[in-house]
Amino acid sequence: MNYKPDESALMAYLYGELNDKEKAKLENYFQQHPEELTRLRTLGEVRDIMAHAQDKEVIAPPVFVDDVGTRSLWQSSYFKVSLGIAASILFLLVAGKLLGPEINYSKGELRISFGNKVEQQVTPANPLTEEKVKELISSSLASNNELQKNLKDEDQKKLVHSLVEMNSRKMDALAKNASQASREQVQSFVAGLQEQNLKLMQDYFQLSTAEQKKYMESMLTDFSGYLQEQRKQDLQLVQSKMNYLEKNSNQLKQETEQILTSLISNPNRNKNNY
Amino acid sequence: MMHSDTLIARAREGDKNAQGKLVQLWYKRIYNFSYKFFFDHDMAMEVAQKTFISMHKNLSGLQEVTRFKSWLYTIAVNYCREETRKKKASRSSSLHDLNPGEGEESYHWEESHQRHENPERQLRHSELSDLLQKCLMELNAEQREVVIMKEYEGLKFREIAEALNISENTVKSRMYYGLDGLKKILEQKKITKETIGYEL
Repeated sequence: MNYKPDESALMAYLYGELNDKEKAKLENYFQQHPEELTRLRTLGEVRDIMAHAQDKEVIAPPVFVDDVGTRSLWQSSYFKVSLGIAASILFLLVAGKLLGPEINYSKGELRISFGNKVEQQVTPANPLTEEKVKELISSSLASNNELQKNLKDEDQKKLVHSLVEMNSRKMDALAKNASQASREQVQSFVAGLQEQNLKLMQDYFQLSTAEQKKYMESMLTDFSGYLQEQRKQDLQLVQSKMNYLEKNSNQLKQETEQILTSLISNPNRNKNNY
Repeated sequence: MMHSDTLIARAREGDKNAQGKLVQLWYKRIYNFSYKFFFDHDMAMEVAQKTFISMHKNLSGLQEVTRFKSWLYTIAVNYCREETRKKKASRSSSLHDLNPGEGEESYHWEESHQRHENPERQLRHSELSDLLQKCLMELNAEQREVVIMKEYEGLKFREIAEALNISENTVKSRMYYGLDGLKKILEQKKITKETIGYEL
């Protein structure tokens, strides 16, 4: 048997639109070729899946029926327009009759009026002077400046508020983190802190000792120099004092010698004076 | 059956009430056919309106009332093809093209389906429906119109052949390759009966 169903037959079978004879023939074919039946069933599964695509609900629009054939003359648009024009003309005629129409043309202006002419006093508009314009501009600028200032103040307040809020949030987060830390974490943190402090102290003392040593050395050097200088100055002072003493003793010696010499040379005169 | 031949006959003879009734009866079907064809609410509304205006104008020329269904779908298919040509020509995209069904101007305001159902389940149904609709859009237009007419509109192969003015064998062939194509698309997207059952 060389029968092999085409796509048309398979689709007709799938949708139940195959006649009995063809259906029996196809089912016989499927018995001999179950793989074809399996393949067709997969298409049936596709149908089952696609059936989940839902319909959209819509509301049908209202239908306005245009009943042209039965429309009366009174309802036709032509009649309505004509009636409208006629009514307008009639209104104008009645108004003209009652009020007395007046038509004048002057300075390129056509005027149709009814009734007596009413003279209207046109009050001059309040002209804008330069001062008024300046005043308006200045008041506007002042109000604008005030508005800007208010906005600036408000922004500043908001900024400060947001900074405070942000800082408090950060502090809260820090405190929260700290509170969440375990005992071991705290201990390790404290140990690290102590170690760091110890190292800092050692460094400080080492540095301090070296600095003190250097300072003492420089101070001793300075002190010995000072002592030498002092000694030198004292020696110079002693020397000058000695020179002065020597000079005075020489002078005294010379005066003594002169006195003695004068006494020895004039003994009588000294005796008479007594 | 949604209507009787008498209703169509009366509408054909100019009975305005019968014509209005036909619009009420068939509007949802034509809208959904167009919606599934375009996956676009605005275009579906456009096609549905044009279809029923055309129906109103040309119903008197319908020879056999028994062919009303295929005749109506012929009009709808022709407008779908016309809109497709226009869309290709303009290459413009509306907001609905980008993200259909979202925004305040969405068409959901005029939808009223399954309000009584669990909202979560309704949402899953809607998402699945959109997913399957996207699969459908991956078919070419010829296969798509046949699949929609057969699977969702329930037309017989003969009626589809009349609507599209092609032979029944061509319709069946397009249907076969359409289903085969859908099978591959669903496999690619890993959509099976089991996954759908799990989702729902």
